[in-house]
Amino acid sequence: MKTYIHAITMAGLFGTAAATSALAADDSRFGLIPGGPHPYFSAWEQAGADAARDYGLSASEYKVPQKWELSQQNQLLESLLSQGYNGFLIFPGDPVGAVSTAEEISGYGAPIIAGAGCYKDPSPAAFCLGTDTGNSAYLGAKELIKAMGDGQKRIAHFTGFLVDPNTQLRIDAVNRAAEEEGATVVQVIADIDAPEPAEEKINAYLAANAGDVDGIITTAWVPAVVAANALRKMGDSGIKMVGIDHDEVVLQAIKDGVVDGTMLQNPYGQGYVGTFALDKLRSGCTVKDDAPFGSNALTDKFIDSGTAYVDASSADTYLDAMRAETDRLLADFEEKYLNCN
Amino acid sequence: MTSPDSTLPASPLGPNAGRSTTHFFLSNEFGLILLIVIFAMIFGATAQGFLSKFNLFTLGRNSAVNIMIGLSMMTVIVTGGLNLAVGAMGVSVAMTCGWLIEGVGVPWPLAILGALAFGAALGWINGAMVVKTGLHSFIITLATMSIFFGAMIFLTRAESFRELPSAFSTFGRMKFGGYLSPLLLVTLVVALLLAWLYRRTLTGREMLAAGASPAAAELSGIRVDRIITLCHMLSGVLAGLAALMLVARNGAAIPSMAGQLGQDWLLPAFLGPVLGGTLLQGGKVSVLGTVLGAFLVTMLSSGLLMLQVGAFWVQTFLGLMLLVAVLLDKARRSYLARRNLA
Repeated sequence: MKTYIHAITMAGLFGTAAATSALAADDSRFGLIPGGPHPYFSAWEQAGADAARDYGLSASEYKVPQKWELSQQNQLLESLLSQGYNGFLIFPGDPVGAVSTAEEISGYGAPIIAGAGCYKDPSPAAFCLGTDTGNSAYLGAKELIKAMGDGQKRIAHFTGFLVDPNTQLRIDAVNRAAEEEGATVVQVIADIDAPEPAEEKINAYLAANAGDVDGIITTAWVPAVVAANALRKMGDSGIKMVGIDHDEVVLQAIKDGVVDGTMLQNPYGQGYVGTFALDKLRSGCTVKDDAPFGSNALTDKFIDSGTAYVDASSADTYLDAMRAETDRLLADFEEKYLNCN
Repeated sequence: MTSPDSTLPASPLGPNAGRSTTHFFLSNEFGLILLIVIFAMIFGATAQGFLSKFNLFTLGRNSAVNIMIGLSMMTVIVTGGLNLAVGAMGVSVAMTCGWLIEGVGVPWPLAILGALAFGAALGWINGAMVVKTGLHSFIITLATMSIFFGAMIFLTRAESFRELPSAFSTFGRMKFGGYLSPLLLVTLVVALLLAWLYRRTLTGREMLAAGASPAAAELSGIRVDRIITLCHMLSGVLAGLAALMLVARNGAAIPSMAGQLGQDWLLPAFLGPVLGGTLLQGGKVSVLGTVLGAFLVTMLSSGLLMLQVGAFWVQTFLGLMLLVAVLLDKARRSYLARRNLA
């Protein structure tokens, strides 16, 4: 029996080995990999498909790790590399912990671009293409304070996971804007970028403290949706709010006057321009030594994918705003950042 | 490693040899070996790149961590208890190691030892509280899961330790023969030591006896309280080892490495031992079964991902596997009981 099982195993293993070619690919086949399931990244799917069609690529596919867990993302990346994917736009599951896998992947010749979030330098990523989260939160806070007008300016800040390095940047930026404008951040609730904790904590907070708050700023997707719904239920509370991203709930609340505005990010542009750049890098282009990169707390190779404030006057045309940001980025991207001679 | 049932050592050459053979073919271990072979053939034939050197390497490396997590849970299940804090303890050990290296400047070999000792200390807290309160370890470790994780987040401010010696990541990426991860070798050595503990040492036997019937064990002179505490300490050390392997894998000690509250480790922690035939009510352990069970789960995850089965279905499939394994084990035990083979 033992011999029989052994024979079957060896035949199965070696008989098919010749038919598999893990790391050889004839054409550009890219993976767009978020850190986990999140509505923010869903625009990457269309962006990858559009870019693959426009630039004649074999594929640029959006693949989602089943959970927000670095090991899940690592396993997905490993499996895609084994299947012949040869370029990756990655939201690092951890700015440092994800570097090791990125180095392994780039060791097999696959270019890597960080999207929506950055690796901590040094990393094999060609650059980081994402929202300047601190600046976005700062501008959003300024818009909120403007909307609150005269009188008391007490702000509640609802934000994302503490393990996300962007969260602290956002908290600091909102605090800075508030300090500059004479406003007070009376409460920061973090770790709530998921439906259950967001519903529980935001609703509980507003039930107890709505009278002590003049404005709400949210700097993560789910809290923006939950806070918008809460304000709608509360009716005429007098509380001003600026959200983030382009969830339909938030956009409708802006149109209905429940929410004052939202800070738009540009995930579509990240997916589209990221795919374009991966193809260029794979075709032999290199990153310019003197490229005009920005810098943030993690990297000195940062490219701002754009941000825009959307209020009631522009809520119907927000897609145009996203496209405009993408076009602006793409127009001189190759000239500014790449050597393709 | 160890026999299918460490409480009933078989005698292959004695009069019960035929019965032992039947026993083996009805065992979880044989079923798992069969499943591993079948799925390896299916994935090898259908999933592009499954048998590539790189995938075999990553399969071994991921298995190493999952097996270690399973062994960590197994050492508590053997007493009839549970350790829901396995992930929180593991992350706490990893962060302690990072702090000792970066914050205190301790050389990395000593930092590893210190961190593992800290894991044992966390296990001691769990064990002591279970013994002192008389509450089920489910309740105690549910509470300590939040306490350990919360304290770790508070003390580290959720900041990773990223400036670890390159030896860590070098070890994590090292390949023998192009496809064998040294992490897998570490895990197999630990599994062999555990098999030796349960089969060859008095302490191991006392652990099994304390799990099978605490009252009887107490009457026969075994200090059950001490044994339960010891099992939790062992669990803490093994959870710490799993976390340190992840540190080697990632080159950094990361607070989110086991998910929120360390809950992401719970499914692999249960799947290995339960698939392998370790009894949830305690008293019986199968180190080989845990190793095979955790390996099968890792291989299924890898294969399903490579077959491009929707990533969310992988989790569903693993949950189904756990349920089917429990039901099959129940059917197997019923069959053995009916035939007087148990």
